[in-house]
Amino acid sequence: MVGALFYLQYHSIANRLLMRLRRLRQPKYLLGGIVGALYFYFYFFRYLFGFSGGRRSGMAMMSPSGTHLALYESIGAAIFLIAILLAWLLPHERAALAFSEAEVAFLFPAPITRRGLIHFKLLRSQGAILFTTFFLMLVTNRFGGKFWIHAAGWWVILCTLNLHLLGCSFARTRLMDRGITPWKRRFVVLGLIGACAAAIGIWARKSLPAPNLDQMSNFDAVQNYVQGVLTSGPLPYLLYPFRLVIRPYLAPNVHAFVFALPAALLITFLHYLWVVRADVAFEEASVEASRKTAQKVAAVRSGNLRSANVRMKGRRAPFALGTTGPTAPAFLWKNLISAGQVFTPRLWILFAATATAVCSFLAQFSQHSAIVSALGISAAMLVVWSMFIGPQLLRQDLRQDLALADLLKTYPVPGWELVFGELLGPAAILTALQWLLLLISGALLLTSPPSYLPATTTLAIGASAALVVPVLNVIILQIPNAAVLLFPAWFQVGKDRAQGIEVTGQRIIAIFVQLLAFIVALIPAAIVSGGVFYVVWNLLDRDLAIFLASTAAAIILAAEAASGVVFLGRLFEQFDLSAELPLS
Amino acid sequence: MIEVTSLTKLYGDFVAVDDLSFGVGAGQVMGLVGPNGAGKTTTLRCLSGIIPPTRGAVRVCGHDLASDPIPAKRNLALFTDEPRLFDYLTVEQHLAFTARIYQVGDYKSKADQLLEELELAAKRKSLPGELSRGMKQKLVIACGLLHDPKVIYFDEPLTGLDPYGIRRMKDSILKRSRDGATIIISSHLLHLVQEICSHILILKNGRKVSFGTMQEISRQYSDEPGEANLEAVFFKATGEEGR
Repeated sequence: MVGALFYLQYHSIANRLLMRLRRLRQPKYLLGGIVGALYFYFYFFRYLFGFSGGRRSGMAMMSPSGTHLALYESIGAAIFLIAILLAWLLPHERAALAFSEAEVAFLFPAPITRRGLIHFKLLRSQGAILFTTFFLMLVTNRFGGKFWIHAAGWWVILCTLNLHLLGCSFARTRLMDRGITPWKRRFVVLGLIGACAAAIGIWARKSLPAPNLDQMSNFDAVQNYVQGVLTSGPLPYLLYPFRLVIRPYLAPNVHAFVFALPAALLITFLHYLWVVRADVAFEEASVEASRKTAQKVAAVRSGNLRSANVRMKGRRAPFALGTTGPTAPAFLWKNLISAGQVFTPRLWILFAATATAVCSFLAQFSQHSAIVSALGISAAMLVVWSMFIGPQLLRQDLRQDLALADLLKTYPVPGWELVFGELLGPAAILTALQWLLLLISGALLLTSPPSYLPATTTLAIGASAALVVPVLNVIILQIPNAAVLLFPAWFQVGKDRAQGIEVTGQRIIAIFVQLLAFIVALIPAAIVSGGVFYVVWNLLDRDLAIFLASTAAAIILAAEAASGVVFLGRLFEQFDLSAELPLS
Repeated sequence: MIEVTSLTKLYGDFVAVDDLSFGVGAGQVMGLVGPNGAGKTTTLRCLSGIIPPTRGAVRVCGHDLASDPIPAKRNLALFTDEPRLFDYLTVEQHLAFTARIYQVGDYKSKADQLLEELELAAKRKSLPGELSRGMKQKLVIACGLLHDPKVIYFDEPLTGLDPYGIRRMKDSILKRSRDGATIIISSHLLHLVQEICSHILILKNGRKVSFGTMQEISRQYSDEPGEANLEAVFFKATGEEGR
């Protein structure tokens, strides 16, 4: 039976790899593959093969060795312990093994024992564990050490954790079958944690010198105190089994690794026995879990990451939508409802309340004017940063809706109006966030004005920024939307959301092209506003020059944005779904 | 109401629809049948403006779908076999959004009536993810009928419906037809097509094999006079024994 399950796993992985290799015959994937491979080489692999240049030698100093090895081992063990405690504390569901819907359909009715299904699950999880091991090895290998020791160490840690989580889910189910509710279980676990924490606290108070808060700004002092708590007294005994699991990964040489491995493998093997000997009915919960997983996968593949991760609720409309008039507000209305899954009124109130509280608090410390004004400038820098990050995060536009392009195409709406409406949602949210940041920045800078920035100039810059950012947002949002209409296959809209090194490469190319397009779009506005600024400053006043220059820039940018919307509208009207996207 | 002239759709070298011409008048119900890959869905997508034809023209209520798409689309509704909905809008929000898109002024009373008819009134606040497949299909129908379309396309309309839903759907199609709507139904369910369609268009490999009323195509393919069995006609028309 295991042979058949191994056959299924082997061929699934082999066919997936073959499909990706065949895909490289298309130039767009080949180019992406080359760029992606270069990225992975320069960022990870060159450290693996030792062609590191000067960077690794510096990072290698951070590798856990010498006197701090025990500390790092204890910290790793403590993290492992916390992960395991959470597994005993938080979940309330019955045991459910993660199967795909196809696996449920094929394997559950097949003459396979429950233990056989567990073996299949363990075999299948090896794919994810090996991939994660490889990735973590690449990342951690940058800090020095032997890559195969890191790989083997990670594999042992991940396997043991995986087996423990599985065994824990079986144990929880058995407790539930015996009438012990999740809350009773949590009470007992929390009681044990509390008892252990109390014992450690009492011991630390009696045995260790009290931490000197004045010395706590010194990193070494903090490290020494933590090391004292973790490596002496009762905690090392509590952490001992977890340290055994962590030890192979942290082994500084081959000898230490060979010495540490048997104990770690023994713990892993004991976990394996615990799991395969469990006789818990997991089938019903697994069927439900597989259905939910399939829904998540479908949501991710259709580009809707949010609905995959957030349990959606019906959201109140942001404003009453009339039944007649231009249709662009209807798309804004729809996309604000969509964004309302994340940007709830509660979140906005929290933003505003936090900003007000922080500003009021900081205003009391006007003697520390350098800190307050630095925070004000940081808030202004966040506005610039949000322009580049915001459009990547706020995707309530054509990127979200292109999966439903066949439906949009049936609407009696001109292309430009549809595109404009689609852009308004993320542009409005981004603008609201930026205006809030500008208000915070202005309040802080006016409270403690830096010597080089008079209050009138702060006001002029703030008003100018507030004027320009909405138009800039519309322009910058047009770039990814134009990209999905021009090169939909590159941007993975629709149901075939591809993965792999070549897709990473495509994304790197896309980010580069978007940045370039944005800079080109800024050139005309920069030239005109520069001219206006120069003339007005020489003739009248600097602050007025700032405001008038930004007004001129906003007008030029608005004209560009309007041309862009018309262009995108035409693109949408000419967009041939049959040629570009897989139709359902 | 709908006139199709030399409609051709190519996917690269592959001819999905080949020089298709036909017309369907007000109050007529046309069944679009053919084996898998015959070009039925591609035809419907071209007729509804989702994909542009490579050649040919489609006129809806006198408006050319390519050069005058907005008034043409205002008169159209397409119901696909897979419900296409926004997963973050509730049932009533779908109707409000559709009303604005199609500029339906008095949509509320009509929406209430449709929700009652389709037994969705209790699900007003529900998201599509909370609806069964059949209910999603009903929501799509409610949205599609909100603006009283004059031309309606159905692509496998009975998929996912229970027997009550099937009966209601058939009654609804016939009622719309009696009220003067032009209806095109693409389906593999030949008994459904025979039961409710006044005209039949049989496609094979993107080409028109036969078009006419049920009696006309029966006469064309039937050996015995008076026989009117669409299933027998279909196999003769699309199989090797087809003329």
